[in-house]
Amino acid sequence: MNRLRFVFALIVTLGLIVVPSVAQDMMDYPSDLTECQVDLTGETISIFHFGDLSGPYAFITQPIVSAVTDAVSYWNGRGGVCGAELQQVYEDTGGNLEATQSAYDRFTSEYADELDLLLLYSSNDGELLREQLAEDEIVSFISAGSIESLYGEDGMTPGWLYASNPLYINQFGSFCEFVAASPDTFPDPVIGFVTWPGAFGLAGTEPAAAEYCSNLGVEVLGEPQIFLPTDTDILTQVQNAIDAGATIIYTNSLASGPALIAGTLVDLGMEDEIALAGVNWVMDTSVGILGQRVLKSNGLPSVDGIYGSMPFLWWTELSSPGVQFITQQFQINARTPAEQNIAYLLSWGSVDSIIETYIRTVNAVGSLDAVTGADIRATVESMDYAILGGLLHHRFEEGMRDATQNRIAVLKYANADFSGAATGPDDAMMIDDGAGGQLFVPIVVPLTDFVPAPQLRG
Amino acid sequence: MISKFINKHRKPLTWALYAALAVVVLLFLADQLAGKKLARIVQTTISGVLVGGVYSLIALGIVVINKASGVFNFAHGWMMVVGAMVFWSFFTVAEISVVGAALLSSATMLMIMSAVSVKSLREPRNLLITAAGIAIWTLLMTVGGIELRWLHALAGTVAGAILTGLAVERFTIRPLIGQPLFTMVLMTLAIAEVLHGVTQIAWGTVELNLPIFVDPATNSKFKVIRLDAFRDALDGIAIVRVELVIAFVLALIAFIGFILFFRYTSVGLAMRATSEDQQLAQSVGLRVRVILAITWAVAAILASIAGVLQGGAVGLSLNINFVALRVFPAVLLGGLESIGGALVGGIIIGIVEQFGTLINSSEQVGTDLAPYVVLMLVLVLRPDGLFGEKRIERI
Repeated sequence: MNRLRFVFALIVTLGLIVVPSVAQDMMDYPSDLTECQVDLTGETISIFHFGDLSGPYAFITQPIVSAVTDAVSYWNGRGGVCGAELQQVYEDTGGNLEATQSAYDRFTSEYADELDLLLLYSSNDGELLREQLAEDEIVSFISAGSIESLYGEDGMTPGWLYASNPLYINQFGSFCEFVAASPDTFPDPVIGFVTWPGAFGLAGTEPAAAEYCSNLGVEVLGEPQIFLPTDTDILTQVQNAIDAGATIIYTNSLASGPALIAGTLVDLGMEDEIALAGVNWVMDTSVGILGQRVLKSNGLPSVDGIYGSMPFLWWTELSSPGVQFITQQFQINARTPAEQNIAYLLSWGSVDSIIETYIRTVNAVGSLDAVTGADIRATVESMDYAILGGLLHHRFEEGMRDATQNRIAVLKYANADFSGAATGPDDAMMIDDGAGGQLFVPIVVPLTDFVPAPQLRG
Repeated sequence: MISKFINKHRKPLTWALYAALAVVVLLFLADQLAGKKLARIVQTTISGVLVGGVYSLIALGIVVINKASGVFNFAHGWMMVVGAMVFWSFFTVAEISVVGAALLSSATMLMIMSAVSVKSLREPRNLLITAAGIAIWTLLMTVGGIELRWLHALAGTVAGAILTGLAVERFTIRPLIGQPLFTMVLMTLAIAEVLHGVTQIAWGTVELNLPIFVDPATNSKFKVIRLDAFRDALDGIAIVRVELVIAFVLALIAFIGFILFFRYTSVGLAMRATSEDQQLAQSVGLRVRVILAITWAVAAILASIAGVLQGGAVGLSLNINFVALRVFPAVLLGGLESIGGALVGGIIIGIVEQFGTLINSSEQVGTDLAPYVVLMLVLVLRPDGLFGEKRIERI
């Protein structure tokens, strides 16, 4: 059993101790789905998706396939959706835009009659396909798109993509609000970006974001410091930001990205002076595990205390029936611990959202065959739906294409009785990693309630 | 008249142009670095040299293949990933499966012993050696408990690397002996995709923690070396990351070893001869197949070392493969067939990347522009790289 397996097994076990009923009986599906008015027995609803499953973002996206597989299996084992069988149709593009285009062309020609709704993972793919989706009248759900993919180059033209998370620029605005409201924690806030390149990495570096934050009293440095997922050493980038006056480093990176920045701050002896924050992906479990290579002066891992957006519920929020349900399904399907990440969680939400969308649309038009992309779009824009009973919220009205609610959270490590965050290694929960060492147990602690995120795109 | 003058003095004028360009670049650099503290300059140099050490190690594997077979190996990055993943599998698992270890040992020993020909396995002596090798290797991978995980991981990784190298050579490169080099190069691209797929199936794509640079006393990464004694002189602090120093030292040891190997051993000399002309080498009695097999096995071991070091420094993911792509300029810069060139090329690219980042990180000058500008300039002046062998082809 490897390290990750131990950590996640423990987290899940602890969760089940807190909610004992979960372990005993198969839970009811937590969503309040619309009642089927049309019997779809003998028909098939396909869940189409493609994206980077083996390239630079694979360590985040791969569990998408597992989650959709589990969800499809769950529904088909219970007679399907309104009697219709669910099936998954997907393709790996490896993060290559040519492959994305190729996959899109294949899907639209091979499944021309039934492709009305498509799941995408990446901002780059969203930007590439934005106009084509509109032309072909195909609705796309994406976790978090860029301004261009969701609203066009002018930031004002809503398209056919709908994101379940707030725009990254809006997440950054939320963070600025949090910083401005926390003068004791951030007495002299100057934010410097140390981030990945590309549409994802540079989201939030737009002038509108800097201006918004500046009006709140939070300065944002103009020049982002860029590093690559393959960089061995990013001392130069981090020092550039600090030399330019940054007291907070903000990053749009994943997994080892935030961990590398945090480790570099410790190497420089600056971890108590410089705060670290980022988009929702910095809250992922992978960061909590990979960040344990380096310990801070207080004896906790380097990423302890990293701030980030958390616009959905997290695995540890087991009071939510949706989280309980997904945790149970995760166990039943014997998924590997490394898959217990954001993507697995949100993909169950995506499937739930797709099911609700289809039920409502079929109810409206009378049959599955009659459903068009335009019908799906009309449904999506009229829905006000708590996905999996509140895991996240589906509401796109008045031209909105991204989620509007956000909250700020902090990555911490569990204390010995799992009742809160540890203050140091002495009161931290430590588990055997199965290889002669010990590991801290990462947890996410929300710092704010869900509040509207600022709209900074235009 | 002007064109006559240019035609007459084309060569000195070209050199003068390059010299002027170099002066402009130096003046630009001086201007950009003028406002920086000495500590930053020193720190950037240290980081560049140490990161360059990792690049050099990767470049060395590519050069070794090229030196022996003339093939530019595009699969080297994926060989790094496979090697590092095998290491991780042995390093982070408390109880190694004896059956799994025996299977790996058996496959490796059978590949080694059948390198000359499968028929040689029929000889009782060879069978005995194979059995003994399997037993010893399995023992090394499984003996003791978690306290011997370094031994398990090293034994397993070497076995895995040799198996990978030999399998690649046996089933993909060997059938192409005597075929145009370009065919072999294309084959390495295919190998890269196969290794990609195998890695993904075997280990998934989730990033893994490889805690090799961990101080057992604190269970955390080795503390950096802080150059406090020079704080006043540098007007700031500079640090040295221990894991990169280890990688650099390993790279140096490997370089010295390979320089001696290629210069003074019969196998090394045979490898060089094979790279010149495989058919000619075979005609004078050299066992080209065995030499190529050894080369690929050695390159796979080098790739594994580089993969483990990189994975230990930043985390183990499929992205490690892309580091090899960043090393290609270093290989070309140093010279495709030069061991010493790989070292120098790697360090130069490391330094150029770091200084490019120091000057302008927001436009990725360090990674996307500067190394290629330097490479371009060097290739214009020295088409075979800094230490490459000049070839004259008679027509």
